[in-house]
Amino acid sequence: MKHTRLRPLAGLTAGIAVAALALSGCAGGGDDDSGGGPVTLTVWHYYNTDGQVATLEAMAKNFTDAHPDVKVDYQYIPVEQMTTKAVTAAGAKTGPDVIIFGASGTYDLSQSGAIEPMEWFEDFDGADQFPDGAMQRIDGTLYGVQGFVNLLGLWYNSDMMAELGIDAPPATIDELEEDMAKAVAAGKQGITLTGKPGLESQWQGFPWFTSHGFDYADAQAEPMAETYAMLQDWVDAGYLSKEATTWDQTVPFQQFAAGSALFAVNGNWQIAAAQEAGFEYGVAPLPISDEGGVLLGGEVQNIGAFSKNKELAQDYLESTFFSTEGELELLKGFGAIPTRSDAASASEIGDDPILSVFAQIVQSQGRPSPSPAVPSANVNAVEGLVGDFWSKAIAQEGTPDQLADDLMTQLLPLLEN
Amino acid sequence: MTGTDSVTTMRSPRPIVSSPSGSRPTGTTRARRRPPASDRRLAFALPAAALLAALAVWPLLVLGRMSVGAVTGATLNREWEFAGLANYAQLLADPDFAKIVLNTGAFVVIVTALGMAGGFAAAVSVWSGTKGGGFLLGMMVFVWALPPVINGSIWKFLLADHGLVNESLRALGLGAGGVGFLYDPKLALWSVALVNAWAVIPFNALIFRAALLSIDESVLEAAEVDGARPRHRVRYIFLPHVRPTATVLTVLTIVYAFRSFDFIYVMTAGGPGTASTTLPYLAYVEAFQRLDYGAGAATALLSLVVVVVFALVYARDVRRNEEVL
Repeated sequence: MKHTRLRPLAGLTAGIAVAALALSGCAGGGDDDSGGGPVTLTVWHYYNTDGQVATLEAMAKNFTDAHPDVKVDYQYIPVEQMTTKAVTAAGAKTGPDVIIFGASGTYDLSQSGAIEPMEWFEDFDGADQFPDGAMQRIDGTLYGVQGFVNLLGLWYNSDMMAELGIDAPPATIDELEEDMAKAVAAGKQGITLTGKPGLESQWQGFPWFTSHGFDYADAQAEPMAETYAMLQDWVDAGYLSKEATTWDQTVPFQQFAAGSALFAVNGNWQIAAAQEAGFEYGVAPLPISDEGGVLLGGEVQNIGAFSKNKELAQDYLESTFFSTEGELELLKGFGAIPTRSDAASASEIGDDPILSVFAQIVQSQGRPSPSPAVPSANVNAVEGLVGDFWSKAIAQEGTPDQLADDLMTQLLPLLEN
Repeated sequence: MTGTDSVTTMRSPRPIVSSPSGSRPTGTTRARRRPPASDRRLAFALPAAALLAALAVWPLLVLGRMSVGAVTGATLNREWEFAGLANYAQLLADPDFAKIVLNTGAFVVIVTALGMAGGFAAAVSVWSGTKGGGFLLGMMVFVWALPPVINGSIWKFLLADHGLVNESLRALGLGAGGVGFLYDPKLALWSVALVNAWAVIPFNALIFRAALLSIDESVLEAAEVDGARPRHRVRYIFLPHVRPTATVLTVLTIVYAFRSFDFIYVMTAGGPGTASTTLPYLAYVEAFQRLDYGAGAATALLSLVVVVVFALVYARDVRRNEEVL
């Protein structure tokens, strides 16, 4: 591979330049544990809800019970700063012992030297439990493993469905539109989803535009135009609020949980939030065509390239994110779907009416994220661009055909290898 | 006048202020051993100059180098491949670029115009020192001290589809469907600009108020004796008096408006689509969301050029005011 040599001066310069672009905080790193005393294991993550933090602490306690001389130091890094911070830290030859990052950052982290190939994972006892879809590879080399996946489903308000005379959740887009029309006639919203510009909206839009036949491997304007037309019809009919263009993935679920909408396109991580809803609810696979798919998101785990405690970091990952018990702990706290086959078949999932549906969606609609047809170097640019156009479509910033043509003009060069 | 004095006078139009040693009798041993005054002043400036070079000039040079390089998250830590003007060409070729430049211009005009007019009006309101004026002043300081992220979040809540503003409009029978302040592509930019202007008014008011407080009481008393009404006082005393302050403040407000980022980030994320994206926000998206640092640097540098032009205007005005004083 070309240009893999790290240069101290280049690293310093890179750090200064990024600081000049934005004062985004300094790059800290793992402690030097060469001396005596307890060893500190630094873990960078971007989890911030109470349930997530409590789960991390519980996993740390289990780990330190087995390693009394170790202290686990969780360091929260805002999601949008994670890759940049890890890359600039690598430039200064520092960084965390363990890093938990978004899949779209795998390429940049691997090429910048912030993470290294996970050669050790082959020797891990439970490696054969992980499906290939949980492996993040760049040019065939493993750079991260997902201990769990997050994905989208169709949340529905069972009480409202009963009031509207709807027997079962929709299985096709036509049925979905019929149900939403009934909700709107009754003074409710049809559906909530995110339309905020950027990466989140690409993830949100993927099931719908693939359902209309779009494929990154052979990108065409027509399926996109059909998707945008569908969205704009929903807005015109009052099924979907244009305000979705200001919503991230949290706000639309709050709207749903408040009882204002019949459906919400949202993820498994909302399980705890759903329990606050004052009505009966359920989850169904998105009513998309057989061509459509749902991206399997979730965070990726690896050891920091400049960790001074690599064996300990490996031990931590193997006994937490990659262990059966750890994945079930994450399931409980995060609502995350385990990737290990033994954990995925646990009764905690099969007996749960919500989790079992998400597990079924993984099998029936799951697609790897990022999409393999998108060149690794352009993942962020492609996902950002497609997300922006999803937002434009909801805001009706152009006709479906215009928007689809404009998107293709910018997208096709990015999809060329 | 000695010959030395003549030389000193020729070197500086203000010998007493700018050259304290200029009036010192020449020919003494001590005077001959000491370096010239200008050299000593330069020595005093060295620490500041070194800091400035390390924290401002050097990062700017690196930013310039980055803007002509193929620098991404993947290549940031390697030797940066020279890309010429490719990043700038890519920026200009962006179909949304013209719209984003126009957005930036419109944003600056709204924030500056409303910020200045509102600031002056607020300063006149609190100038009198009444209880109401004191309360208003306290509220303005509170608004000014509020972090923009919190400020923006509150306004996002107020301007939402079912927020206070839309519900009030509905209660008044105006716009039953709600006004898409933050999601209508035609309104989003204006809404954020209005909020941004609202946030800058307290600062401008405080500066204008300081200028108004320096008006000689006797001038105001004379005007009152001559029968000047409040509007005359504003027109013929206040406005002329704050003109030099207003010039400098206008430049500062333009720069503030031009580099505004936080309100856009919190309230619309530049959307819907790119409807409320400005150049600084675009630089953020390119550098920190798409990890294309080269493109982000080119955009940031382009924005910086505009800010530097106004900074030069500001520096010239400050110097001119000092000369007048």
